[in-house]
Amino acid sequence: MRILLEKLLINYPFFFAIILFVMGAFTVLTRSNLFKKLIGINIMEGGIFLFFVAAGNIKGGAVPILVDNPGVTYINPLTSALMLTGIVVSVSVTAFALALIVRIYKIYGTTDARRIAEMRKEVKERCQQS
Amino acid sequence: MTSLILALMSALIGVLLILFIPGENKKLRNSMVFLSVLLAMAFSWRVGLMIFAGKSIGLEIELGRFVWSLRPDPLGAVFGLIASTLWLFTAVYSFGFMGNKERQHTFYAFFLLALCVTLGVAFAGNLVTLYLFYEFLSFATYPLVIHERTPEAMRAGKKYILYSLSGAGLLLVAIVLTYHQAGNLAFGARPILEGLSGPGLNWLLLLFVLGFGVKAAVMPLHHWLPSAMVAPTPVSALLHAVAVVYSGAYGILRVVYSVFGRELAGELVFSKIFLYFIVFTILAGIIVAIRQDHLKRRLAYQTISHLSYILLGAFTLTPWGLAGAVFHMISYSTLKITLFFCAGIISELTGESSISRIKGIGQRLPATMVLFVIGTLGMIGILPLNTFWGKYYLMKGSVAGGMWPLALVLIISGILNGVCFIPFIIKAFSRERTQPAGKRGFREYALFIPPLFLTITAVIMGLWPGMVWPAVQAVVEWFF
Amino acid sequence: MPAVITANLPVFLIILPLIAAFILPTIARRQRLQENLLLVVGSLGLLGAGYLVYLVMHGGISSVYQMGGWPAPWGIELQVDNLASFFLLVVALIILPVFLYSRRNMAEEVGSREKVARFYVLILLLIGALAGMALTNDLFNVYVLVEVATISCVGLVSSRNHPLSAEAAFRYLILATFGSALILGGIGFIYIITGHLNMGFAAQELVQVWQYRPHVVWMALIFLLAGFGIKAALFPLHLWLPDAHSIAPTPASALLSGLAVKGYLICLFKFFYRVAVPFLLQELAIDKIMKWAGLLGIVLASLMAIRQDELKRRLAFSTVAQIGYLFLGASLMNTRGLSGTFFYLASHAVIKSALFLSAGMMISVTGKKKVSQLAGIGKKMPVTTAVFTIASLGLVGVPLFSGFVGKWYLLLGALDSGDFLSALVIIAGSVLCAAYLFPVVRLAYFEPAEIKEAQDPGIPQKLALVFLAVLVVLLGVMPGIVLELANRAALDLLTP
Repeated sequence: MRILLEKLLINYPFFFAIILFVMGAFTVLTRSNLFKKLIGINIMEGGIFLFFVAAGNIKGGAVPILVDNPGVTYINPLTSALMLTGIVVSVSVTAFALALIVRIYKIYGTTDARRIAEMRKEVKERCQQS
Repeated sequence: MTSLILALMSALIGVLLILFIPGENKKLRNSMVFLSVLLAMAFSWRVGLMIFAGKSIGLEIELGRFVWSLRPDPLGAVFGLIASTLWLFTAVYSFGFMGNKERQHTFYAFFLLALCVTLGVAFAGNLVTLYLFYEFLSFATYPLVIHERTPEAMRAGKKYILYSLSGAGLLLVAIVLTYHQAGNLAFGARPILEGLSGPGLNWLLLLFVLGFGVKAAVMPLHHWLPSAMVAPTPVSALLHAVAVVYSGAYGILRVVYSVFGRELAGELVFSKIFLYFIVFTILAGIIVAIRQDHLKRRLAYQTISHLSYILLGAFTLTPWGLAGAVFHMISYSTLKITLFFCAGIISELTGESSISRIKGIGQRLPATMVLFVIGTLGMIGILPLNTFWGKYYLMKGSVAGGMWPLALVLIISGILNGVCFIPFIIKAFSRERTQPAGKRGFREYALFIPPLFLTITAVIMGLWPGMVWPAVQAVVEWFF
Repeated sequence: MPAVITANLPVFLIILPLIAAFILPTIARRQRLQENLLLVVGSLGLLGAGYLVYLVMHGGISSVYQMGGWPAPWGIELQVDNLASFFLLVVALIILPVFLYSRRNMAEEVGSREKVARFYVLILLLIGALAGMALTNDLFNVYVLVEVATISCVGLVSSRNHPLSAEAAFRYLILATFGSALILGGIGFIYIITGHLNMGFAAQELVQVWQYRPHVVWMALIFLLAGFGIKAALFPLHLWLPDAHSIAPTPASALLSGLAVKGYLICLFKFFYRVAVPFLLQELAIDKIMKWAGLLGIVLASLMAIRQDELKRRLAFSTVAQIGYLFLGASLMNTRGLSGTFFYLASHAVIKSALFLSAGMMISVTGKKKVSQLAGIGKKMPVTTAVFTIASLGLVGVPLFSGFVGKWYLLLGALDSGDFLSALVIIAGSVLCAAYLFPVVRLAYFEPAEIKEAQDPGIPQKLALVFLAVLVVLLGVMPGIVLELANRAALDLLTP
């Protein structure tokens, strides 16, 4: 138990990353509001980003700017760089999803997934008639 | 080799030609059908005679990693000859039967396609090729089964295709398993699986028998056959009494003798268990037939029973048993198709298809009924007819294989065949309803001549069984 | 060929569609020019992919392409091997008919002529991403390419001018992003324990460290399986697919069902066989999960397909079932099974594109969506229906058609690993496939016509359909090169 707690204390960023990930996943899967689903996705990705950045961190490491000092330990900059890409992807997905929500709202007049599911049949019939 | 290709191609070209004949030209189309069937028959006879003379002909094409091969051996040649010859008679009969019915173009196109595919099954030189044609046989015959397009026909067609495809699926597993074990699929003088052993082969045999047994209508896989009798009579006669079901029986003969070989098959427990199923089918089939009121359905159940004669011969694993199976294949087909033709004539000319309302038909159609009686006697297996000899060899084979109860089963089955049709014949000839037969035209002749010829052939073959003996002997010598 | 071109051919194949995607919006108003440009891109792609296959098979090209000349582990690599050239060839073979098919045919489905250009841009981005997926040898690049592909796929679904398209696209987007997050997590785990993003280096490390951190490796592989499983519609995770693939515009459906899901699969195979090793998968029981998901997918998704009356939905469910075959084949862990999987992948790509294109043509000409309403179409649209029939025979696995070869090797693979149940399910899947496809053919040919006026499409569409049908037959009769490539790719993956 002590060992576990110690490990947890050393690796606490990972712990939070997992909490964020699970929170996000839970939100995506259980909430019926489309916006909340989208926010859930963002929280989930936030968890992953934290996970990566934490993985690159070295305790006591310096900012990775090369100076002529052989004694310095640098943190790993690669993961942070990767997550910049990840954040860009996540932003664009969010923007795209918001655009889709706007279109859905125009058709159904609601952003609630359950009500949309109820109305789907109706819309289908309407579009077959027209 | 050329004849081999031409036999298949003449039917196939016939299909293409028919598709290009404009709508209403019946005469041109019928003569085209006749010609291509005739050519196919002539070429298969040429192939057959060459094979019986001991020559080996065939061709192999390697495409991808598969060898597609046509290389008939005597057994395949016998099947090919039966199919192509009967196809000619059926073609003539169809000209009469189809008369002015609808959708004849489709009918004849698939009729010829089915001939091509059946010849392919017969001449296939390895298991993959056999599978190819076996699967295509289902597709080629399906439109014939649903020819009437009634809901009943559609249901029957669905059942037929579902049973066939499931059977073909199991067959594919069996073939892949064979390839996996033996690394070779070609039929040769030596069996494919020779030298292998193990209890697993039992299951392989089961897969094969299930795969082919669907088409051979072994009980309990037979349900599609009686339903498929909604097809027009020429189709039922040819496909469901002869070609399709024979392709199943032929497949099982192949499996026993070319894939497993008789030594290996004799060692397997399952081949003994199958004998029980076969005996059950022989007896149950005919008993169920007695209870059918619809004439064609009664014939269908009788077919189920008689097909298992062939399988019985196969599984006795003796030379006489095999000879009996081959002989029965030849002789039974001539008479069974006659019975179907007669049933078709009765239903066409009188509109009656159920047995209970058929009184006095003997007065109205005396000649047809005479042929029917001969056919029935043939089913029982009485001497001047060729089926006697088949049955005789089968019994001899059973006794030689030390399985004398099988001979008893054959005798009982013969008696039951009598019970099945003799009351019907008596009824048909009783004086109840007498109407003069109508005027005879091309249609009546086209309907009547094929069964007449076939009956005469059957009688001649019964009197001189030696005339088909070279073929039977060639098959037996090939495998023993 | 000048050495410069030969050496840079792989990267050319990735940037060709991307460059075209940038040019297209600038000529958005000139539809003819756009379409001709697409055809040029498609033909160049096919030529390039064919030449690459030739080079790879004859050893004429180095198997590692270093982007910008930086050697690994600092630079990013492309792995130019049998698997990559195989998948590139498949992609090139599908996109050319899809471009042909969409010639002067898209305005109705996407809403207006102006929107057609955007639709094409999305298709080109998708193709670029797929080509990248085929070639990449870098873990993080996989993630980026998967995201590009996902966004373009969702965009394609939403591009249909249909009230339900936005919702289907949204559901797809949410689930797919969920999958991306899982994939990124899996990549993160692998990176943390190996310290490499290059697949080759990561694999070397993984073989050594997995014993100390089996749970982390297990988590990584499960995350990857789940993430790619969502995107490739592995059976219980397929929920988004039927809506998305049936609502997308027809050429997009063909691309999504035929290619996009396979791109994710190829990536998954790279992770499972190149980064991890087969032995590791078996040790961690990942292959069991794949196998059972595949088996269930084949049976249950086929049963669901039988119950669908809408033709495109039926085909979409059929895709789920066929993906089951690919997972099943990959779980067999032997050469014949895996080469069968790859061949089946190619065969299904061709067949499903042909099915979707011909079905979409029937639907758009007649305006009837349901199978039961399409009775008698065989006489009105003979070419389209013939293509549908050939593709159906191919999917069922009738000899002489491409599906048969694939199924043959899958069966051999199943028997090689002594897995009799899988062999039977493979066959049961074929019978079920016949049960959901043949009724369409039967209605088309053997039922009285309900449709009054319908006729075959114009020449480009006809050409596209016939091209695919010929491919179905050709792959069945002469699987030669494709089978050989699949075989070599399987050998590459299984012998580290």
